[in-house]
Amino acid sequence: MLAVVFGLIGYVVYRAQSHFHYDWDWRLIPGYFIRYDAEQGDWVLNLLGQGFLATVRLALWGGVLAALIGGAMGVCRVTHVLFFRLLGWTYVGLIRNIPPLVFIFIFYFFISGQLLPLLDIENRIAGATPETLRVLAWLFGPLELLPNFLSGLICLALFEGAYVTEIVRAGIEAVPKGQWEAARALGLHAGQVMGEVVLPQAVQKMVPALAGQFIALIKDSSLISLISIQELTFTGTELAVSSGRVFEVWLTVAALYFLLCFGLARLFGWLERRLGRYRRR
Amino acid sequence: MSKTSVPNQRRWRPAFDSLIFLAVLAGLGWLVVEGADTLHYNWQWYRVPQYLYRFEDGVFYPGPLLRGLGVTLELTGWSLLLTVAFGLSAALLQRSTSWAGHAVARVYVEIVRNTPMLVQLYLVYFVLAPILDMDRFAAAVLALAIFEGAFAAEIFRAGIEAIPRGQWEAGRALGLSPYAVYRYVILPQAVRLMLPPLTGLAVSLIKHSALVSVIAVADLTTEGRNLIADTFMTFELWFTVAALYLALTVSLSLLVGWLERRLPVHGAGRG
Repeated sequence: MLAVVFGLIGYVVYRAQSHFHYDWDWRLIPGYFIRYDAEQGDWVLNLLGQGFLATVRLALWGGVLAALIGGAMGVCRVTHVLFFRLLGWTYVGLIRNIPPLVFIFIFYFFISGQLLPLLDIENRIAGATPETLRVLAWLFGPLELLPNFLSGLICLALFEGAYVTEIVRAGIEAVPKGQWEAARALGLHAGQVMGEVVLPQAVQKMVPALAGQFIALIKDSSLISLISIQELTFTGTELAVSSGRVFEVWLTVAALYFLLCFGLARLFGWLERRLGRYRRR
Repeated sequence: MSKTSVPNQRRWRPAFDSLIFLAVLAGLGWLVVEGADTLHYNWQWYRVPQYLYRFEDGVFYPGPLLRGLGVTLELTGWSLLLTVAFGLSAALLQRSTSWAGHAVARVYVEIVRNTPMLVQLYLVYFVLAPILDMDRFAAAVLALAIFEGAFAAEIFRAGIEAIPRGQWEAGRALGLSPYAVYRYVILPQAVRLMLPPLTGLAVSLIKHSALVSVIAVADLTTEGRNLIADTFMTFELWFTVAALYLALTVSLSLLVGWLERRLPVHGAGRG
């Protein structure tokens, strides 16, 4: 089987060498990350650098929002009020059974068409002080792209929220029934049982799965490039088309995602082992 | 818990909750319609069926959407076959005693699991396809299979490892070769354990197949996008496309739920 695998790889390399004359040129790539701007007399981020930063911002804010949505919906899924259970069930069932792409397209039309005009962002930005603008730019990236960024963010968070919901539900259900009964027997009301007894124990069980979902969120954030949110995949597409260096650009983009996700996976794994050791002691 | 302690008070609760739930759904539906109204959206549901199918002289012709659904199914079928091949190879390589085999499988799984599907699709389509002279459909099948194969590998590995060691030892003691042990002892038992996660994989394959619309393979999503570009019936067509996918994935889940009840687990996995 190994022979087959190496044979296939060898065949691809052979084809690349003999049938397909591509002149590799990696020298341009570093310039796409950061370049020297003669007008400002300073180093500024170029397309790939900006895209990478936008992806990181999307991931962080998307993670926070998805955790909020998922937390609320996850609790909804386990309450014994049927209404909330139905609500959570519909949300998860709909989103998990529709392709992410189709979901993103549908919601993009709603969010950009209806929700964003409601928030009236452009006028608010025009009325803000330079100080707030600087903070906002640091938090959310270039301000002229803010409405665009937000619609992508809401899409992503709603989508990932469904997966977080299931993780939260599983975490809560993994808490032994005796804990619920003991808390009730002590005379705590439903809110206290959930907030002070069940959730703290459930969160511990959820952490590994949530870490995995965060990495999935970074990967799924590439999808919203298709509705013109200017993150890494989008700038990659732009660059591949405009520079013509298709192979180098796509390999670089893939490598960036790999570094980000693999690095995080390793980090989370390490943290988990550390915490596990600490807990056992 | 408390449901049984105060039965009278709670008897009407489910009905009440269902009513509120329906009211909320109706409210959301109203918001959609109202929102579309403010955009002066012109609903044209009556035009949708002709894109699904049409009858001419009593003969059935599938419309673009159903043809797209067919392509999606075809795409999913081929990539599922290839996914199983990739996943099984990777799982066996990972379990093999060969150092190189282990490393190859590991690198494959890590690379695929840590890069987005979309970027892999672009890599296969823009980099690998011109090298190997593949057409769009083949590139799409390959990209999907490479992506899902890494997840399938984990499913196969877990399934194989769930078979008790005694089965291995007994197989070897009977004088079977390692291949025969896999083929006649381990895999038949592991398949039953792997069935539920593999369905999840098939569902995820259907969903990810929507992505190939970015390289213009004529699947359901592509057909939907083309029709929208032609007719501007954005909402109707996206809802229809979503409903078709929903029907596909939900019926697949139900089918396998039924299969699972029909095929009970024999011994393995209980211990």
